[in-house]
Order: sequence, then structure tokens, then C-alpha cells
Amino acid sequence: MNDEQLDAAALATTLCDTPAMRRRRFLTLAALGAIGVMWPTTGEAAIPVRMLAAPGLLAVLGSERAVQQLGERYRRLVPAENDATVLVRAILAPSPSILSPDLTAGLAERVRQDFTHGRTVTVHGWILSLTEARQCALYSLHSA
Amino acid sequence: MHIDARNLDTDSLIEGDICIIGAGAAGITLALEWIGASRRVILLEAGGFDPDAQMQELYHGASLDRPYYPLQSVALHYFGGTTGHWAGFCSPFDPIDFETRDWVHGSGWPFTRQHLDPFYARAQSVLELGPYDYDPASYELRDPDFKRLAVDESVFYPKMWQFSAPTRMGTTYRDPIVNARDVHLYTYAKVVEMVPNAAATAVEHLRARTLDGKEHRVRARHYVLACGGIHSPRLLLASNSRTPRGLGNDRDLVGRYFMEHFEILGGQVAFATAHPFKMYAYPGRGSKGARAEMALTAELQRKHRILNGTVSFQAGALTGQEQSRFASFSGDAAANVKQQEALAARGAARGAAGAPPPNTTYRLFTRQEQEPNPSSRVVLNSEKDAMGMPRADLHWRFTGLDKRSIRVFYELLGQEFGRAGLGRVQMMEWLTDGSDDTWPNHLSGGWHNMGTTRMHQDAAQGVVDADCKVHGLANLFVAGASVYPTGGAANPTLTLVALALRLSDHLRAAVR
Repeated sequence: MNDEQLDAAALATTLCDTPAMRRRRFLTLAALGAIGVMWPTTGEAAIPVRMLAAPGLLAVLGSERAVQQLGERYRRLVPAENDATVLVRAILAPSPSILSPDLTAGLAERVRQDFTHGRTVTVHGWILSLTEARQCALYSLHSA
Repeated sequence: MHIDARNLDTDSLIEGDICIIGAGAAGITLALEWIGASRRVILLEAGGFDPDAQMQELYHGASLDRPYYPLQSVALHYFGGTTGHWAGFCSPFDPIDFETRDWVHGSGWPFTRQHLDPFYARAQSVLELGPYDYDPASYELRDPDFKRLAVDESVFYPKMWQFSAPTRMGTTYRDPIVNARDVHLYTYAKVVEMVPNAAATAVEHLRARTLDGKEHRVRARHYVLACGGIHSPRLLLASNSRTPRGLGNDRDLVGRYFMEHFEILGGQVAFATAHPFKMYAYPGRGSKGARAEMALTAELQRKHRILNGTVSFQAGALTGQEQSRFASFSGDAAANVKQQEALAARGAARGAAGAPPPNTTYRLFTRQEQEPNPSSRVVLNSEKDAMGMPRADLHWRFTGLDKRSIRVFYELLGQEFGRAGLGRVQMMEWLTDGSDDTWPNHLSGGWHNMGTTRMHQDAAQGVVDADCKVHGLANLFVAGASVYPTGGAANPTLTLVALALRLSDHLRAAVR
């Protein structure tokens, strides 16, 4: 099987999982111990980068491998963002404060606003929010 | 009344007030309207009451540009016509389908959807459907499991379909037709030419042949051609002994603008949570019922300048093994009919389906209209069939707008599902490159043959006028989906029955 077929097979299998199984996989992101980096901000609590690298998309697709592959593809699609620092800055733009006070909820709202305003990117056919595509990219950098 | 034309002496003269050529959905609908009207109605059917390989063979031809269903089996050549294998999908065309859209070549009907609504309402009973109510709210009220997806309905909305049993018109209406005193059904009477008067301003008579070599003449005050999207233009083109370009073909429009529906898997959706999907679930062949398909609003079609289409949801993920129905549909019409009857019987025995099991992954199946394209056409070839009639070949051709419309639809669907927090849409690879106009091998069609005797008030742009009368001929009309200027997002049968009812009302005034 080539990469495309493997992708399709992986997705076809995992997309049939139940939501409960997907949530369990999502929680394994807590084991991203290597991403113990905090993103400094001015006047506010530092942002744990590992939370930026945990796209809500994982709960939808239910496959860490799929999210990683999407991230890899995004970085190939946008070579200028093939860098963790660039990605974090882009995710937090224009200011980290817009994700306060709840980072997770703030990111989810950012994703929703991306879709509302057409800030989307198509990666391997998946129509994604730009923010979540960058999150996948960050995830793939730290999962490699 | 029923007469087998094979039992007549050759060169018999058959006369009536109205002659309907073809006893399919349109022809039978028309004939039913004239029962008890005290007029002599001739209904000519080339076949008998059952599928017949010899009759189907007369339909043999080639699809020259791309794969299509075998022409000898895509349409049925016996009493009841293609209702013998249709699936029963019914929905009215949308108001935008009748509008002139400046981004869609050849769009615009000579009347509005509102004009056709009373005829749609009457068509419901012909196809044994429920009331003429396609408002999703009505279905949600009746069934608590019918819940629409929470999307912005200024972008996408649930377009409703009702399912006929499906009505096999050759079975359901055989007795009423055969027992009617004023409808004279002639089976095994294949019209091979419509002969005009010397000035070619009206049809003078028809030549109808039987397979055993007899030929009869048919004369009427008015004629209605109802042979379908391939064989109505074929007969017009073949009627060339006095008019070399064929009848009604002064502007070289007969046979052009062949349209199908693109029916094709375009992607999949991963929902964030399982949804009670009964409203969007196919109730199954033969079970009657209703379902919704996801449709793009007219406003968004205008904004993005795309064609009209829908997606329906099929449980499960894409497999990468998607195949076209063109390859799997048999050239043996009788076998197809048996298969469809078995499916319908199983569905009817199963009864109304309960709520399907919740799923989070669905394949997305597109049905979309095709942009009218004059190069997409039915033509005669040099080979003649066993009745001496030139065969018909098909050039099925597309435009750039066709594929772009599907791609934009999926992009908008992905955007809206993401915004609404429902899930994520993945387009299949064949849609991802905006510069690629090729089509994948798993493209299928709906068995919908439309547009080849299109309707337009201007004779330079249509074969028939707003009353479905052939331009330039005082007494020839066309019934069926061949008159459609555009194909809509919905299956064609309900609309062609509505148009046949409308034509019948018009003829009543003409015959008076």
C-alpha cells in the first residue's frame, strides 16, 4: 500500500470508532511530556505550548496518526510555517490575550471564527480551520 | 381498449383526436387525463406489456465520449416505460431552477416554479405519493426522530424527497387504460417516422411498424411525442424523408443539450458526535417514506455562481474502492427490471425503517445538475435497427462549471459544518485540485435523460415553446424530460408528470 492508501485505511478504521474511544485517545495527548515548554506572554500567565498542539480536531477524527499526518502535510503545503515558533506565533496572533481566560475555549472559539470568516485550508481533502491546521502542524513537530 | 398492432392487417389506418407516441410516465399520465373525455385518444407503444429483448435491442447505440449506461437498457421499451426500473425518488424542482442564471448557459424556463405548483400537486397522486408538502418542518412534527442538522439555513437547508413505492405505471395503470373506451392503446406499434405535410408546417401522419414487417398509418389532429430524452430526438431526427434535417430541427437544436445528473461520491464527513440521522437516512426501496438531502440555498448558488445540487449521507467511511454504476448496470433490461422488483418487494416487506443506528462517519453522495451544453447531444448513426430506423448515439459532454460547482459545494459544506461545530468534511482527491477538470472513474448518472428537445419561447433557442409545442409545427407536442432547459437538483420524474398534466390541460383547450 502506498501512503495514500495507508492514510485512507487508517482513517477508515479509526473513523468508525465510538466517540468514547476517541476521547480516550485525545487524553493521551497529556503524555506529550516533551512539550513542557511555556510560551511567555506579557503581563499574563505563560501559555503551555502543548495545549496549543492539542487540536480539538483530534476528538473529531479520533486518530493521533491522522492528526500527525495532517500536520506534516500542512507543513509541506506552507513551508514558511515549518517551524514551531512561527506556528505558535501564528496560532496566538494577533495577541495571546484573545485566547484568555480559558485557553481551550479560546482556541475552540478561534477555530469557529476561522470557519465563519472563511479562514480555512484544505489539507489532504480535509477542510480545516487555519488555526487547527497549525495546531496539527505543531503537534506533528513535537510528535516526530 | 387494447389492440396488438401485430394482429392488424398491414397498411391499416388508425385515427384519433390525439395520438400519444410512447406509453412511459409522460404518455400514460396524458392518456389517463383523457379517460372519459369523449375524445378518441390513440396511445402507441412500441413494446408489449413486459420487457422484451428484441424491443430493447432497437434502443442499442453507443456512448461515444465517456462511459455511460448501456443505451439498450437505460430506458425501457414496453408499456410503462422506464418506470419499470425507476427507484421512486420524488422532489419538485427548486424556484431557482426555473430562473435565468447569468452564470449558467442556457438556463431559464418560460415559467416559474409557482406556475407549476398546481401541477406538482396533481402529480403526487399519479405517483402514489403523499400530499404535496415538502416542508421539512411537517416531517419533524410527525416523527420525533426526524431532526434536521443544526446548520445555518441561509447557507444549507434540508431539501425533502418523498419516495414512490415505486409506482410501476405499466402495472398500476394497465387496467384503467385497457378498460377505457376512449383510449385506444396499440402495443407493438413502433413509430419510425412522423411525416409532415408538404409545407412541413404540421404532422400529417405517422408510420408505425411491427417487428414482423407490417406498417400502419396513424392520423390525429394533435400528436404528442413522449419517447424520452434519447428516443424523442431520435424520432424527430429520423423523420427526414421530407425535411432532410429532421422535424423541428431548422436550428439544429434537436438532440443537443443532453443532460444527466452527476451522481458521485465526493467526500466524507466525520461528525463530532453521533447524530440521530433518520431525517437523512434512505428509507429503502419499496418502503415509501421521506428523507432530506443537504441543499445549498439559492442565495449561495448566486453568490458563488454554481449549479444546483445536493449531498446525501451514506453511513460509513470511504473505502477507496468506489465504483461507477455505469460498469455494473446490466445491458439486459429484463434482468434489471427483475432486480429492481426484488429490491422493492423486499423493502415493502420490511416496512418503514426505524431510526438507523447512530454513526459518526458518513460518505457524502452528490447529485448535481449539469450545465446545459450544446455539444452534449444525441445524434443518429448510420446503422439502422431491425425496424429500419437509424440508431442513436450519445455524446455526453461537460463544462468547467460542472466540476467547479461540486468542489465549491464541498468547500462551503466543510466551512459550515466546521462553523456549526458539527464535524469536519473531507473532499475526495478528485475534487482537491481546482485546476483539474478531469472526472474520476466512479462517476455515475441518475438514468436521467433530459434536455434534448429543450423548451424556449424563442425558436432560435429551443425545440418546443412554453406549451411544449414544437416550433414551426402546428400540431406536434413533446412530453417528458427531454423538454427541460435545465436539470435541477432533483430527480426528473415528478416534474415530467407535472408537465404532462399541464400539457394535457393545454390540449383540452386546443381540442375543444
